[in-house]
Amino acid sequence: MKNVVLSIGSQFPDFNKKAVVSTEKGKEFYDLTGQEIRASGKWMVMFWWPKDFTFVCPTEIAEFNNHYQDFEDRDAILIGASTDSEFVHAAWRRDHEDLRGLKFPMLADTSKTLAEELGILEANEKVAYRATFIVDPEGVIRWVSLYDLNVGRNVKEVLRVLDALQTDELCPCNWQKGEATLVA
Amino acid sequence: MFGIAKTADSAADFLKEFGIAEEHLSENLKMLAQTNSRYLRDVKINVNNSLQAVTLVKKEAYLIALAVSVNEKNEALKQAFIASARVEGATDEELAEVISCTSLLSANNVYYRFRHFMKDEYYTNAQAGIRMSIMANPVLGKEFFELMSLVVSALNGCELCVTSHEKALLGHATNKQRIHDAVRLGAVIRSLSVLF
Repeated sequence: MKNVVLSIGSQFPDFNKKAVVSTEKGKEFYDLTGQEIRASGKWMVMFWWPKDFTFVCPTEIAEFNNHYQDFEDRDAILIGASTDSEFVHAAWRRDHEDLRGLKFPMLADTSKTLAEELGILEANEKVAYRATFIVDPEGVIRWVSLYDLNVGRNVKEVLRVLDALQTDELCPCNWQKGEATLVA
Repeated sequence: MFGIAKTADSAADFLKEFGIAEEHLSENLKMLAQTNSRYLRDVKINVNNSLQAVTLVKKEAYLIALAVSVNEKNEALKQAFIASARVEGATDEELAEVISCTSLLSANNVYYRFRHFMKDEYYTNAQAGIRMSIMANPVLGKEFFELMSLVVSALNGCELCVTSHEKALLGHATNKQRIHDAVRLGAVIRSLSVLF
């Protein structure tokens, strides 16, 4: 299988997926669309993991959750995703102590169409690699990282990249001589 | 939107982030929080990122922040950064040295700035006559003492002091990134201090 990961500069594919947003009965599920996210005018950080109910995942997911406010402060919508169904997500969330208080939606790419379009499916098991995407308010992918199945991520590095992407040097003090002619 | 969690955007949360007692909630902060100011979030990110610069160990970052708070006469921030520095192992002697250094720089920054303004032979050759014995054997080490002096001098706008301390730091083989991060931290903490 040839794996071509959607990369920097590409438009993030449109999607319409079930997501788990709560453990409260009757309020568990939500139809999450790429359109709604773009309409919000915010950035999006979407991170993927291979399978629910495995060991490395909850630690990493909990770490993203610990930094939920940091993403919010940076006008970024945080979304977790895997190819498990929404029912598996909901069960895992209820089952695991570290996951009950999750603040971000868990997207269920049950049909694997989004993971396939993103090019992040592992060949044998058809589960997602630990991919992380930063998408700007125009829906353009600005950063991708792809880790092998057993390698955990560093959430602070994701925040650092987001900061670097968002920090436009707006102050005239940063204008360098001759820069104006270079930009055009 | 979707079942999005309530986030902490209030002025009280802002204070909590930096370990500042709620009694210090200022009019400025209240006004920003009431209008859901984007700037409040920017300040929070700027301060946290600057405090976490990899070229500064945590204790150093808090001590520099303390020096800025003392320089800006900001009691609320001073107490918060003293507490944070203590958690990182700062001793009474070290905290006192930060206060002494900042105070001394208040004199030096004015005096040497005057000399630099005038560029007059008489003033340049006159003996300063300001005692600076604490510079001789600082408990925080000479390099860090220089770094702290540079930050405070940058705040107080003394060109001669800034260029001299930067040169001294390069003599200590200090990495330029560390110098940059320290000055950025000083600048950002000052932006925090004006909100009180």
